[in-house]
Formats: sequence, structure tokens, C-alpha cells
Amino acid sequence: MTQSPPLSEPTRAVRKVHKPSLGDRLAEQIPRLVVSPTMLIAVVFIYGFMIWTVVLSFSTSRILPRYEFIGWQNYQRLFGNERWMVALTNLGIYGVLFVVICLAIGLLLAILLDQKIRAEGFLRTVYLYPMALSFIVTGTVWKWLLNPSVGIQRFGRELGFENFRFDWLVSSDMSIYTVVIAAVWQSSGFVMALFLAGLRGVDDSIIKAAQIDGASRITVYTRIIIPSLRPVFFSAIIMLAHIAIKSFDLALALTGGGPGYSSDLPAIFMYQFSFTRGQMGVGAASAVIMLMGVMAILIPYLYSELRVKKDDR
Amino acid sequence: MANLYIDNVHKSFGETHILKGIDMDIADGEFIILVGPSGCGKSTLMNCIAGLEQVTTGRVIIDDEDVTQSMPKDRDIAMVFQSYALYPNMNVWKNIAFGLEIRKLPKEEIEETVGRVADLLQIRDLLKRKPSQLSGGQRQRVAMGRALARDPKIFLFDEPLSNLDAKLRVEMRTEIKKLHQRLGTTIVYVTHDQIEAMTLANRIAVMKEGHIQQFGTPQEVYDNPANQFVAGFMGSPSMNFIRCQVVDHQGDATIAMSVDGKDFHLPIPQQEKGVRERVGQEVVLGIRPEQITDVVPQQEQASTLANVDAEIIVTEPTGADTLTLIRMNDQEVNCRVHPARAGAPGDTMTFMINMDKAVFFDLASGDRI
Amino acid sequence: MTVKHSNRRYSEITGRAVLYAILIIVAIYYLIPLVIMISTSFRDMNDIRFGHLIDLPSSFSFEAWRMAWSEVQIGARRQLGLRPYFINSLLITIPAVTISVILGAVNGYVLSFWRFKGSNIFFALLLFGCFLPFQAILLPQATVLGKIGLSGTIPGLVLTHVVYGVAFTTLFYRNYYVSLPGELVKAAQLDGAGFWRIFWRIILPLSTPITVVAVIWQFTQIWNDFLFGVAFSSPQSQPVTVGLNNMVNSSTGEVRYNVDMAGAIIAALPTLAVYVIAGKYFVRGLTAGSVKG
Repeated sequence: MTQSPPLSEPTRAVRKVHKPSLGDRLAEQIPRLVVSPTMLIAVVFIYGFMIWTVVLSFSTSRILPRYEFIGWQNYQRLFGNERWMVALTNLGIYGVLFVVICLAIGLLLAILLDQKIRAEGFLRTVYLYPMALSFIVTGTVWKWLLNPSVGIQRFGRELGFENFRFDWLVSSDMSIYTVVIAAVWQSSGFVMALFLAGLRGVDDSIIKAAQIDGASRITVYTRIIIPSLRPVFFSAIIMLAHIAIKSFDLALALTGGGPGYSSDLPAIFMYQFSFTRGQMGVGAASAVIMLMGVMAILIPYLYSELRVKKDDR
Repeated sequence: MANLYIDNVHKSFGETHILKGIDMDIADGEFIILVGPSGCGKSTLMNCIAGLEQVTTGRVIIDDEDVTQSMPKDRDIAMVFQSYALYPNMNVWKNIAFGLEIRKLPKEEIEETVGRVADLLQIRDLLKRKPSQLSGGQRQRVAMGRALARDPKIFLFDEPLSNLDAKLRVEMRTEIKKLHQRLGTTIVYVTHDQIEAMTLANRIAVMKEGHIQQFGTPQEVYDNPANQFVAGFMGSPSMNFIRCQVVDHQGDATIAMSVDGKDFHLPIPQQEKGVRERVGQEVVLGIRPEQITDVVPQQEQASTLANVDAEIIVTEPTGADTLTLIRMNDQEVNCRVHPARAGAPGDTMTFMINMDKAVFFDLASGDRI
Repeated sequence: MTVKHSNRRYSEITGRAVLYAILIIVAIYYLIPLVIMISTSFRDMNDIRFGHLIDLPSSFSFEAWRMAWSEVQIGARRQLGLRPYFINSLLITIPAVTISVILGAVNGYVLSFWRFKGSNIFFALLLFGCFLPFQAILLPQATVLGKIGLSGTIPGLVLTHVVYGVAFTTLFYRNYYVSLPGELVKAAQLDGAGFWRIFWRIILPLSTPITVVAVIWQFTQIWNDFLFGVAFSSPQSQPVTVGLNNMVNSSTGEVRYNVDMAGAIIAALPTLAVYVIAGKYFVRGLTAGSVKG
């Protein structure tokens, strides 16, 4: 109907030109219609709200949102706040230790489990089950285990070590490390699962070739297998860093951010300033900083991920 | 049963132009083979015919009806895919009946059609099985059965045999040919396999970079390639291309050739007038391996023949013939020699070059002269 | 020769022994909190006060469980125990999982087989939603829930979980569907089937494994959620994680560890049960988000 053949070509006699019916035209739009609710969600609830939070962070909002803008004042107040600086420092300590220890334990366990172990399925289940628990449950349990007067410290003393001390939970200097202990307990099995999947994906013939070349088992691991797990390291670090930045429930249940605010984390800070202390502007500013942190980690990751995916078609 | 007319079809994905003006006029009942290197647009063209992709411009006309804007379901086309695309969750019976059920055929008719197709393809025993319980050859049959049951106007085959082992492929090839002779339905068939192309096709379309390079009968395409690409693509082992010069030798235009340091002249067939006019220029001589053989005495007198002594570099016995590599004009040339008369690498042997079917291409454009 | 050979055997056996020893010790480390949690929940307070941390219980009772489930006073709530919180969690989790999984399935179907201009960009935008730190949307979401009258209600929490879960379910289904041959859909189109029929008759019957993964993932995420639960709920709609936290932190007088532990187990039981029953799929969900699939 719209497309006429080029003039140079002889026009072919056609009995009938099929035009798309109304139903066909509607059918063509179904895919777009079907994803439109989700598209709305993405645009409004994810990106719209992110921008909204940024807007709030420049406003005078306290208990309720108010749209009078005060420039960078909330950020100045945020970074002038000793508690926020403690929370950031804690996140640094916690984040680095959590990621490094989880990677080390996860990789070690995965390699050990990869030695044709008899009860592998059972052991894997045991290592991974904490991941099914909520951080609140983990926090509750470890809060009790780490409580000096009833938990591990008392147990040690009862065994006869009169001077055994393990009171990090109630020590301002050490409380953040208890969060690390509980978080590692919960998440290291997950890293193990990631690495194990990666190890199982390593091409067997490469390993055989290396063995024929005379490489010892340790050399095979350090020189061939572990380097080939680079993408797994990459995604494990992303996932763990992401968990660390979002960490909220675990610290809240375990230490409540205390003693004092010695084990505070940005997520707790954000929640309390926004919802319980009526400092919405400062809370929004802290949320924006957290968002920036996640983006700084994610954007290189998503970039590389999507570049690979382009080859799909 | 229908004719198929593809009228100046273009297809682009964004800035990537896949089809750049395809014209094909296919008569009712023809068996058309599409060949070409991967990425040449064959599969896109198939999808455009089927309606799975919308053409960017141009028309697709089936049975004298313009279906360019029709949905796949309204085009009455059946397709056999390389991966077979059998529905994994349905048994063979359901797979074959699915298209009929959607078209709301009466139950008895579906039963009857499935039975008929199953008998035709000898898959009656398999009707209750799931695709995962079938061998590759059986899956292939079911995929064909699903297409046959629909009794469509046109069949599209997208490399249907390429996942089968060599023996089954030959069997199925014969079977497809028989089916076509029996049903007479128009078929468009994509393949990589030279022999499939030569044996099955009424006409072959050779594609490259979104253009049809040549569209003709198998023999035409083989003997009279339109350009160097087609010549190199069809035939296995492929045609030898030798860069050489047209020279005047004793008043006649000939090809100057040098083998192992010795110069000699090859005759140019009388019908190649264009080449004869290019004295002094360089051209590409195209000659198939079977035109360079051991000396066959009873043919030796023909005017287009020339004998040449050459050192053998490599031999590759194939059973029926021995492929022998020599050098002409410092370029490697494959020859097809009788196994009993083939020498060993390092030997010098006399080859007979038959220039009767030689073809010539322009050095720059690769077009036939 | 023989000596050398037996030496090697010997070192191999000790090597294996050390390997198993390490693995078992680590397993114990992971298990101990659970074991102590369970054993403590069956002991009475005297036993806990005077016995050891790890000890065979000298007493055995369901008292702590009963207390945690239906008798302990949590905050100023009129109804006692974790039971109402547990029911809230069910009322939030079941619809939220159902809706987000259905949306994810059809989204994945479109993004794999019915791509349109911009669908890849849409997917990339959505992918970021999987990593969004929820703090960045907490304040606007609270405002919007208030505006549409869902503040502090169970439907409000369901909406929130659906909205922020759909990115994950879409990712799961999309990555699964792109691994299916696209020719299936083409074949079905030529057979005359339309968008929905292909989904129902061809694609959905093939989706069981990924549906299990998506359901388990969403169930675990939503059941274990604390942030949304504490930020967007009223005392009448709080989920069990919030209930547990309140119970542990607000109980007046003596801390009753046995009740706390029983409460913790109650809160963890549904997800632990899922893990034990369908651990394989649970792991697949965890790794699907990170390893390219």
C-alpha cells in the first residue's frame, strides 16, 4: 500500500495486497504493553526516586519533605558530623575485612571441596546454610554468643582459662569487628559456592596439559586455575562490596550501632537521621553518598557485563 | 503450492544493512538453494520470506498476493530449522499436530493428517515419544513431519541436515529430493553443503554481503560463474585462481605461464573473446582441479590442451582421485589425478591442462571477463 | 622402588586426613551457632544461667517456644508473641512473591524473544535495579506510600517488595530464556501461535527450573527483609524480622536467651526449610545474579 516498487522495475501484477488487520497491529504492540508496567517501575520507582532523593538532599526537609533549597549545607553538616565520619571509617574497616576474609575463606573452601571429597554435598549444604538466614537472626544469635557474660568468653573461662577475654561486643574499639565476624560467618559459604562453580567450569584439558608438562598440583592451582577465576573474583567482590554498603540489619541486631555509636554504619546512620531523628535532608545526603559508593563499584562492572552481552545477537 | 516473488527487498538493523536489494522470481514447484558464507544474509532472507522479520523496503509476493505486511501465521509457510526447534514439552504427535490445532482443524482431520505424515516419514513408532528421547535423524524427520503436516504453500529449509552425520545426511538428502518430486511444493533451502546444493537445486542463488551474486541452474553456476567469488565458492576443492598475463604468441592471444622456471603458453578458448582483446594485461585465470589431470592419450590432440611438467609438492589421496599440489606462476595449484598415475612429492610428472572450461576474471573487480 | 612407593601412599593418606580434618572443623564452626541456638531454645533459664554454653541440656521443655510464639510481650502490642508478626510476613511474602515472579516471567519472555527498539536499553536500566542500595529510594517511597494511603499497611509492603524485586526476577527469566533456542518461538509463530499462546504452551512448560529459582530467591529476600519492614510498617503490619528484633531488644527485666533463640528459629524456619528442601535451586539463584548466565 505504502511501498510502491521502484520505477525502474516492472510492476508485478498482484491479485491482492494483504494489509495488517487491526488485530495484527494490536498484537504487534503486546510485547511493549506487557513490559510497560515494569518500565514504569524502573523509571519512577528506581530512577525517579533516586533523583528525588538527590533533590531532598539539597532541601531543608526535616520530619517532612520541604522543597526549599539550601545548596550543599546538608552535605556540609553530614561531613561535619563526627558520627557520620565514624560510620564511614567503620564501613571502610568492615568492608575491606569482610570482602578480603570472605574471599580467602571462600576460595580455600572451594579448592578443598574440589578434591573429590566424599561428603561434598553435605558439607556444601552446611557451609552455605547461613545464607538462608535473615541478618536479624544471625545478629540475634551472635549477639548472644559474643556476649561476654553468657557466651564464648564465659565458656572459655569455664574451661579453665581464667583470664580468657573476648568482650569485643561491648568494647567501643572492637565492636565493629564483631560485625565482621558475624557477616563472614553468614556470607563466606556463598563465596565458596561461587568459586566452586568457577572451579567446575575450568576446562579439564588445560589442567591435564599442565600436568603433562610436569606442573605440580600447587603450581596448577596458583598459575593456571586461580588466574582463570578472575571473572569470579570480579563478581564476588562486587556482590560482597554491595552487601557491605547496604549492611543495616546485621549491625543493628548485633550491636545496635553501639556501644555509643562506635559500630555505626552509613546505612544505620541514614535510617536513624531520616526516620527517627527528623533530619531528612541530612539522611538524604547520606543516602546519596551511599548511592555514589555503589555506583563507583558497579558502573565498571555493568559496563563490562553489557559489552559481553551485546554479542548475543 | 505457490510461486514466490521477492521484489527489491532491503533489510537493515539500525545502521547495519543486511539485505541490499534482493530480487528473486521463483516459479511454482521450484527447488531453490541459497548458498553463501555465514553473515551473507541468507538466514535474514529466509526470515523475511517467513515474516519473522519485517522487510525494511521491498515486497514479498506469494501466490500472486502481496504478503509483505502479513503476519507469519497468515503466510502459509512451513519451516524446518537447523536445530529442528521441536517443542521439548510435547511428544512427537503433539509437535506435528500443534499447528493444525491452532488452525482449529477438526479432530478427525488432525488424526488423519498426523497419521499420513508419520507413515510418509516412517515415524509412526515414535509418535508417543518426547523429542529428548529421539536420535538426531529421528528429530530431523519429526521436524520435517511438522512442516509437511501443514501442507503449506512454501517450505523453507534452514540448513536442515547440517547437524546430522555424513551417512544420514546423504540418506535424508535423497529423501528430501523424493519428497519434492512427489509433492511438488516450492522449496527455498539454505545449505553450506556443495553437494546438497548441486544435487537438490533446480536453481542456486549465491549470496554475498546482502547481494545475490548469481542465480542460475547448478550447472550454469558451476561452469559459468558470474565472478571470482561464485567460482571460488562453488565446487570442492575450489577452483584454482592463477594470476597471469595475456600475451601475443605467434600471432595468437595466449596465457603466459611459468612452471618450475620453464616458460610456456596456454591456449585461450575461442569463445573467450573478451580475454583475447586484453593482450598485455594481467588477468586471473580460473581453472578447476579436474581440468588439470594426468595425460589422457586419446584426448591429447584437442586444441585447448597443453601438457606441462611440474614438480609435485603435496599429494592428498581421496580414494577416487589424488589431489596433487603443484606451482604455476609461483602460485599453488590443485590438480586432480588418477590415483594409479600420481607421483610422490618431489617427483616431476606431466600434467595435461584442459583450457576448454577455463574462465577469466578481471584482476581488479573479480568480475568475469 | 617399593619403599618410595609406600612413602607416597603414606603421605597421600595423611594429606587426605588433614584435608578432611580441616573441612570437618570448618563445618563445625558453621554449625555451632545453629546447634547452640536449638539446644538453648529447649533449656530453661536456670539451666542456661548455671550450665555451660555447649552442654547437654539438663532440662528439656517447649516453654521457650510457647513463650516466643504466643506469650511474650513485644513492645506495647496488645497481641502477644511472634505469631501475629509471622502471619504478617506470610501475608506480605506470598502475594509479593507471586506478583513479582509473574511479572519477571513475562518481562524475561519479551526481552528474550520479542525484542523491540530500546528493549536492550530497558534491560540495562532494570539491571541496575538489582544493585540499587535501597537507602537511595527509602524517603521518596515513604512519601509516595503515604500519599496513596498505603503507609504502614501490608499492601504497601507488598507493593514495595514487588517494585524492587521485579528487577531480579526479570534478570533470572531473561538469562534463562536467552539460553533457549529462539527458533522454538519462530517455529511456533509459523505454526500460527500468537504471543500468549507461545508463552503458555511452549515457553512456560520449559520454565520450571527457573521458576523454582525465582520463587525461592524472592521468598528468601522478602521473608528476610528488615529495612522495608521497619521503615514502611506500622505496629499492625510489621513482619517477623522486625518482631524478632523488637522482642530481643525491648524485653524488660531479665534477658531470656531461650526465648530469644526460639524466636530466632521461628523467624528463620521457613527459609531454612526451603533451603533444606531445595538447596540446589537456592544456590543457583545466588550465583545467577553474579555469574553470567
